[in-house]
Amino acid sequence: MDRGMVIFLGSLLTFASSWLGLVLFPFWQLQGEQPYQADPADDPYPRPLQGKALEGKKIYQREGCLYCHSQQVRSETFGNWWDENGNERTGADIKRGWGLRRTVSRDYIYDRPTMLGTMRTGPDLANVGSRYSESWQHVHTFNPRAFNDWSVMPSFAYLYRKEKIVGERSDNALKLGREWTIDPGYRWRPSASEWDAILANQGAAIMSQFLAGAASDIDVTTPEGKKRLMEFWLTTEEEGFQIVPTDEANALNAYLLALRKAEVPLPEAKE
Amino acid sequence: MAAATQTPDYDRQRAAAERAAIDASCRGPVLYFSASAVFWLLIGSVLAIIASTKMHSPYFLTGTPELTFGRMRMAHLQAVALGWSSMATMAASLWMMCRLARAELIYPKILLASATLWNVGTFLAVFGIIFGGGQSVEWLDAPQYAPPFFIAGLGIVSAWVAAVFRRRREPHVYVTQWYILAAVFWFPWLYTVAVMMIFWSPATGVVQPIVNWWFNHNFLGLWLTPVAVGTAYYIIPKVIGRPIHSYYLSITGFWALALFYSWAGMHHLIGGPVPAWLVTASVVGSMMMFIPVIAVAINHHMTMLGHFHRAKYSPALRFTVFGAITYTWVSFQGAIESLKSFSEVAHFTHYTVAHAHLGAYGFVAMIFFGLFYYMIPRLTGREWASASLIRVHFWTAAVGITIYFVGLSIGGWWQGRMLNDPNVPFGNIITYLKPYFLTRTIAGILMTTGHLAFATLFIMNLAGWGKKRVGGPTYFVEPLKTTNSPNAKN
Repeated sequence: MDRGMVIFLGSLLTFASSWLGLVLFPFWQLQGEQPYQADPADDPYPRPLQGKALEGKKIYQREGCLYCHSQQVRSETFGNWWDENGNERTGADIKRGWGLRRTVSRDYIYDRPTMLGTMRTGPDLANVGSRYSESWQHVHTFNPRAFNDWSVMPSFAYLYRKEKIVGERSDNALKLGREWTIDPGYRWRPSASEWDAILANQGAAIMSQFLAGAASDIDVTTPEGKKRLMEFWLTTEEEGFQIVPTDEANALNAYLLALRKAEVPLPEAKE
Repeated sequence: MAAATQTPDYDRQRAAAERAAIDASCRGPVLYFSASAVFWLLIGSVLAIIASTKMHSPYFLTGTPELTFGRMRMAHLQAVALGWSSMATMAASLWMMCRLARAELIYPKILLASATLWNVGTFLAVFGIIFGGGQSVEWLDAPQYAPPFFIAGLGIVSAWVAAVFRRRREPHVYVTQWYILAAVFWFPWLYTVAVMMIFWSPATGVVQPIVNWWFNHNFLGLWLTPVAVGTAYYIIPKVIGRPIHSYYLSITGFWALALFYSWAGMHHLIGGPVPAWLVTASVVGSMMMFIPVIAVAINHHMTMLGHFHRAKYSPALRFTVFGAITYTWVSFQGAIESLKSFSEVAHFTHYTVAHAHLGAYGFVAMIFFGLFYYMIPRLTGREWASASLIRVHFWTAAVGITIYFVGLSIGGWWQGRMLNDPNVPFGNIITYLKPYFLTRTIAGILMTTGHLAFATLFIMNLAGWGKKRVGGPTYFVEPLKTTNSPNAKN
């Protein structure tokens, strides 16, 4: 093979075959897909993202959420596992509650970019909009370990603002104990000596707050009692401060709530 | 090449003068590409350690948007794929093409502009992502202002490689040249099509991830792999002074790679909302990869047979042979991994991450390390200043990638099994994975230590700290005179 033309033509043809087969054929096959309407009176599905949700998609992209979260629900026949009786079963995604059906190409016709994902260090988000409420999402985005202590998801506390309360606590304020809000992004706990100092200062107030909601008394002279009171105090809200979502946090949340890809029945998704 | 031992002294001197002239013409651009590659390797390593640490210790450096996991992860990939691997690939392509064509590099100053374009592009990609411009398109995360720099820089390199080839004085075209020519032709096409169909004029819905995986897999398969395989084809015979085992196998290996590797990649969409025939086509492509891989494996390893002891002395050879052996292993693994029943478990897990690193690091990076140990002294006229630092580099890299691969392969496999069983709560999977995430950080720190040793050696060499190149190269230990091949010097 001493001739450049042979190498050039051969590389051209082999690569052109792959370009044609793996890129252009699917492009032609899928380019004309239209939204679905079971009945002319229904809203077509899917619909393009709009407004805040569209802004939120950019934040989802910017923070690289894709690198741990996929957006695709796989078929009931995908994968295998064995139940307690030793029978082989398939299809974990739907059984995990990640969607009502598998996702198909039509679910993505308005996605730019289409973030199918390649990694599940976190759960699938194709249908996350129907799984959690807005307030849950905010707290979870602020610090995921407030709900799941095993979580390795980053805290996105920088999308939230900690501010002094002027007048009433805002309706939008995150409902979170001081354990999470004193040092946003981290979990905060006082050391033994700090806790002693706090008890010396405000012990009576904390105790009366505790007694208002509890059936039994706590003996703060014992180490266990002190620890129990601290655990209670950490779950109470910080006085005078609140955590509120920024526009970016609201946008990201709007995007997550708009992710409902595996709900509306599509004829081609039937198995 | 064995024939060279019989050449008269006069011809040997003329050949040496010719090589010296070629190296002199390459010096500026190839050293610039190489130094940039090493720089981005260090940046990429730091980003990798930060991202990896965050996977088991989520409070590490939290609270700063610029240092959040997703951005570190995207920036790492850009730094090592476009900064380190691609710039090393271009340095390798330019130098080996000149050497094998026996032609000097023309207008080398324009290539300095090309390397600058790549550096600007990589800088924009890495820091653009860190400051909030990431695209979340795997391997193509660079903000949209970066690709034009890459395409322009790449265009120049491709044109120059072709020009050198056209001006060749050596009528025989060696296997390394086939791989380089094909790679510099394929990659601009691949990259431009991918950027166009995903960003400039986005294709509908799931066509984007299809193009995305076509690009990702071919980035390794048709850009890094051919040049790295070609490098092994160059270094092994050069250092041990023996011709390649079989010319015909090298032809088979080349054409089978061109045809089949380009068809792989879609198995990364297994179970996804894409036409099923696509995944099947890629599984076929992947299985057919056994042909070129076995051909190349026989050729590389049979050439080495009986000469493995030379890896005790020669750093260039030791790194290259490590890479060549890894290539065989990672390709066998990759072909089997594409099978449906295997992929159903491994997909969406860290098993795939382990596989990708075995390919991009254990194979490609190790071979380029080997090439650098061979090539840089010939360009600077200085030998490496310290055999101990090279030894540190080799062992940290080799042990590091082994720990990385073994840890994440085991963890990732069981992650996949548990993901497929809906009765396993999600939290249990993460708790199970955490120790394996820790092994990755340890491996990353080891490899980064090696990169620091490598960068130190590189800077010392550029600064003129090594001994002048008059005798043989810097060996790990001085070989016995009887085993020293007369060709090993140049």
